[in-house]
Amino acid sequence: MTILGPVPALAAIKLFLFASPLAIVVVLSIVIGLLMVVLFGYTSNQKAIKIAKDQLKAHLLAVRLFQDQLHVVVGSYGRILRGTGRYLKLAFMPLLYVIIPITLLIVQLDRYLGSTGIQTNAPFLLTVRLDTADALNEATLELPPEISMTAPAVHVPAEREIVWRLAASKEGAYEIKVAAAGQNVTKTVRVSSDLARLSLVRLRGHFWERMLTSAEPAVPETSPVESIAVNYPDRNIRLGYEMNWIWLFFILSMIAGFIFKELLGIQV
Amino acid sequence: MTKSLCGSCLCGWDIPVRPRAVFISRQTGKACPERAKRVEGSARPPRVLLVLAIVLLPCLAHAYAGPGAGFAVLSSFWAIFVAFLYSFYALATWPFRQLFRFLRRRNAYGKAKFKRAVILGFDGMDPELADRFMNEGKLPNLAKLRGKGTFTKLRTTFPAISPVAWSTFMTGVNPGKHNIYDFLARDTSNYLPFLSSAEIKGPKRHIKIGKYSIPFGKTEIKAMRKGTPFWHWLGKAGIFSSVIRVPVTFPPEKFPGVLLSGMCVPDLKGSQGTFCLCTTRSSNDKFREGGVRVPVERQNGVCHSYIPGPDSPLAEKAGSEMRVNFEVRPDAALKQARIAVGSEKFTLKVGEYSEWIPVEFKAGLGFTAHGICRFFLKEVAPEVEVYVSPVNIDPGHPDLPISHPVTYSIYLAKLYGPYATLGLAEDTWALNEHVLDDDAFLAQCYSNHEDRERMLFDALEKTKQGLCTCVFDTTDRVQHMFWRYLEENHPAARDVPRDRRPNVIPELYQRMDRLIGRVMEQIDEDTLLLIISDHGFKSFARCMNLNAWLHQNGYLALKGGKTESGDWFEDVDWSRTRAYTMGLNGLYLNIKGREKQGIVDPADAEALKREIQQKLDGLKDPASGAVGVTGVFITGNVYRGPYTENAPDLLVGYGAGYRASWDSVMGKVTGQVFEDNVKAWSGDHCIDPRLVPGVLFSSHKFVEDKPHIADVAPTILSLFGLALPSHFDGKAWNLAS
Repeated sequence: MTILGPVPALAAIKLFLFASPLAIVVVLSIVIGLLMVVLFGYTSNQKAIKIAKDQLKAHLLAVRLFQDQLHVVVGSYGRILRGTGRYLKLAFMPLLYVIIPITLLIVQLDRYLGSTGIQTNAPFLLTVRLDTADALNEATLELPPEISMTAPAVHVPAEREIVWRLAASKEGAYEIKVAAAGQNVTKTVRVSSDLARLSLVRLRGHFWERMLTSAEPAVPETSPVESIAVNYPDRNIRLGYEMNWIWLFFILSMIAGFIFKELLGIQV
Repeated sequence: MTKSLCGSCLCGWDIPVRPRAVFISRQTGKACPERAKRVEGSARPPRVLLVLAIVLLPCLAHAYAGPGAGFAVLSSFWAIFVAFLYSFYALATWPFRQLFRFLRRRNAYGKAKFKRAVILGFDGMDPELADRFMNEGKLPNLAKLRGKGTFTKLRTTFPAISPVAWSTFMTGVNPGKHNIYDFLARDTSNYLPFLSSAEIKGPKRHIKIGKYSIPFGKTEIKAMRKGTPFWHWLGKAGIFSSVIRVPVTFPPEKFPGVLLSGMCVPDLKGSQGTFCLCTTRSSNDKFREGGVRVPVERQNGVCHSYIPGPDSPLAEKAGSEMRVNFEVRPDAALKQARIAVGSEKFTLKVGEYSEWIPVEFKAGLGFTAHGICRFFLKEVAPEVEVYVSPVNIDPGHPDLPISHPVTYSIYLAKLYGPYATLGLAEDTWALNEHVLDDDAFLAQCYSNHEDRERMLFDALEKTKQGLCTCVFDTTDRVQHMFWRYLEENHPAARDVPRDRRPNVIPELYQRMDRLIGRVMEQIDEDTLLLIISDHGFKSFARCMNLNAWLHQNGYLALKGGKTESGDWFEDVDWSRTRAYTMGLNGLYLNIKGREKQGIVDPADAEALKREIQQKLDGLKDPASGAVGVTGVFITGNVYRGPYTENAPDLLVGYGAGYRASWDSVMGKVTGQVFEDNVKAWSGDHCIDPRLVPGVLFSSHKFVEDKPHIADVAPTILSLFGLALPSHFDGKAWNLAS
């Protein structure tokens, strides 16, 4: 907001939300490919990486140049393995610098691109896990009028879980209230065909898991509810065949990275 | 039975055990047990660094780490994969290749007396100096070879010039059969010189588009040296060779082995080395040899200059030089400067060299010439001066082939970093012109030398069987430039007190001796080690302008009563000229029908040669009474072979202490015949070849009275059990029993 100002930022968010997921993935891949290369360039020992890579290439060429000299072929292969280790060691620290911000960014993007919202009138599951199997019988569900239960709850004592099959009659963001042992915990369910920020699960504790999969505040520590999950359908991008956005992102950002590293003269 | 729900398709309720439906992997569509486990209260995620969590998290998290990790993994595994393929291919086909060789040639080493021959060429190592230093106990390793094996003088070629002698070394024939008589040869149509070893021609066809003239086709590089190097004969017999920097191996020829070209490889401009002095000092003086002065412009404390490059291949007219700009930010207080050229930025202190810096000369339309050069900061205040070495062909990205296979130069560049590729890599011209001082020149020489040593030891490691040969030029360049300190009264060092004269040449020989010691540690009794030089060395204290002598004796005439000429025979009256000289030892008659403006009847040529021979032989220097010319040789009596017609008509053998003057070499007539040589280039070998034999050291004893450099090729072939080609002029030496 500080960079763009409120109006352009809003426009950017709208554009982001209404653009096709494929276009978003392509743009993100290019931008992140560029960012990653620049970050890598600043955080790595470029000279040492160049030397390590050059030596790897030299040993590869040695295998070709001296292919009749058996001792050279075998020796070069050993050097290639050692050189690869040296190269990976040099790439490790800068990769950490690159991976951390990009991982956090991608986790947030996955909220939008990883799953689609619940479709109207399509059944979906709400799974609640409790502290003890005994508490299953006391758990109840309070639904907004637009969401209805389409089958009785199923109790799975071995897993300490209770599963409801639900369906929504209208698009929107709804709060489903789970009551157990006298405490209420809510879970947001988005019924929408547009891009929206989705939270697959609401968790109690599990800090790292929440960082990576949840987009809601933690369930209070005093609550008997351990998690509430909604099985949003996976979002696949059609590009010849269907694939998850993350794989497309992986491939495209790699290509972008390779192009930018050449253009910027950065050793990766 | 516990009822559960199929979470993946909502097909029913009667599933005995509930799959962990909520945690179905998006990638596989299957249950992800790891992820489910972490949601269970009993399996807490480890409280470690976020990084480890990311790395350990399965499924999506692996892809999150994706592009960054992907680069590292892809790059490294690509290397391993390619290496594996190469290695697999090499290992799988090795027995078949060996069998094929066996069937074709029987066992290549069946009759060999050694499994390996290592030849170290020390260009210009002098037998008298070597003997003296050995006797003084300065060269223990060479002395060891002298005691155990062979040490003798090695007769050299007529003339005793490196390209001639090394061509004879590799082909085993006299110059009449390999066609190299000097660095330069003359064009009979215009009396101008051209490089004798190779001819480089750009593409013949050009397509004109707008302001561009786009070359169409390949650059032609024609080898002028004839004859077959002996490593080709070895290769045909299945014996592998590693050949490093032997002179006159440019352009590199195909053979079963690896070769890095040496002397005669041009710089990126196509010259034999053009340095550049970038300076804020204004001067209209031009360097006599091998360099250009480029202005440096100062703006707000930042200096701007450029490196002159080759002509643009897209320009219609010659002379449209490409340039690479660079910037210097001098810091007078710290006596240093920050230099920026292309994407490279580095700081140099005064008196310091940069590493090899890559430079790209862009002509447009994607045409780029790739070179490397070194910067040397001479001064930052009050003036700014930067020396830039000749721009060498980038060995990692060669625009012209400088090795066989082409990948060999790339391999060495990747393994050890960029290195000098120019044939005459040590910038003797810059020292002669006082652009570099003694220390800077020596630093440059030894830096190149260390690169060469690394290449040699790599070749020794790679070539356990076969031939390994490497020529070191340092011995030649350093003796050329520092002989003045070896002599009591050399004109080029008269003003340097005796106690301030550096001990450069003895230290050079000791350095070479240490190198030999390290090589001897790498070889066994089954390896023959030969150390040879192409010629020896003598003082070059006095210059003789042979053109001036020809002029004074009525063989060469100048126009309009002039007493001196310009370079390359400017003002020479060819209609009255019967003989002329250019280059180091050759003397040519102006023969009718051969030279464009020839006047000497071919029938009179022999008599004229004898006349000049008689007059010139034994010519004395009037200043000292010493003999300036100790021998004049009619080449028809010296050379045999199909290319003798390209040879000079006479070869002049100067006496010790004498050589052709700098002006005479460049086809200039001066008033004086003899004069002092006051240049740093103070030692030489382009004299009477009988006075400057090379050296022969060997790890094994040979029975041979007067070995000749032409004998090396037949000797090596013979020791590997191969039949000798009948055209060889040299003869094989016999090992002592």
